[in-house]
Amino acid sequence: MSTFTIEWYLISLIMFTGFYCMLASRSIVRQLVGLEIVSKAAMLALISAGALANNLIFAQALLITMIVIEVVVVAAGLALLVKNFRVNGTADMWTLDGLKG
Amino acid sequence: MTDYRIPLFLLTAVFAVWAVMARKLLTSAIMLALVSVAVSLIFFGFNAPWAGVFELSVCAGLITVLFVSAVSLVRTVEEKFPENRARFHALPLALAIFAIAAWFYLPPFFTELAGWARPGTGGGTIGLALWDMRRPDLLGQVLMLAAGVFVIKSVFPRRTENK
Repeated sequence: MSTFTIEWYLISLIMFTGFYCMLASRSIVRQLVGLEIVSKAAMLALISAGALANNLIFAQALLITMIVIEVVVVAAGLALLVKNFRVNGTADMWTLDGLKG
Repeated sequence: MTDYRIPLFLLTAVFAVWAVMARKLLTSAIMLALVSVAVSLIFFGFNAPWAGVFELSVCAGLITVLFVSAVSLVRTVEEKFPENRARFHALPLALAIFAIAAWFYLPPFFTELAGWARPGTGGGTIGLALWDMRRPDLLGQVLMLAAGVFVIKSVFPRRTENK
């Protein structure tokens, strides 16, 4: 079995952990933690595929874009959390519809 | 180079499980930073220093600061009304079941997938890839950051009316 196969297998385990966190929790913070873990796994898969195809330059350029997008998503999610906490007093995902209007 | 990459992957998986299972949200945020550090070390191991530097500075630095500040806000409520922990304690079991099931199905698929790789030239510099070949995309990135700033601004409007 090649090194890349083992690496991608481990990446799939990391991704499962992130998805499980997002499924199991109702806290917005833990949802974002799960999202971060999933995106870390995606980054690892991207750079591993880039190394396999001997094309690390493009993989890195794509990855830098991905990091920028990830920061924006996390900042927006945490801003929603802070707003929800001020309005509803909880960090529960299911109270987010209290922000409407 | 390959020798310490696999242990780092395992370490990343361990930190990820720890981040999910941690009782305190602060521990969770710190474990997430350690996941980022391990991932950036893997990037350096892959000979991808630019990605590693960005990961280390942005993901392990900036996002951790954001998380810790948000956690410090909601910590008191989280401690007062804790979540049901049973589902998180079931994570190792679920992960073990997934790992055993995936061991039979995923590696043949990944081996086939690796066979599809079209080897590139591997030439060029990161500057060429970022600035010369992807100029329109760079504008997209700047617009994306602007969108993020706009989201923050629209979520926190100045509270002058209706209050």
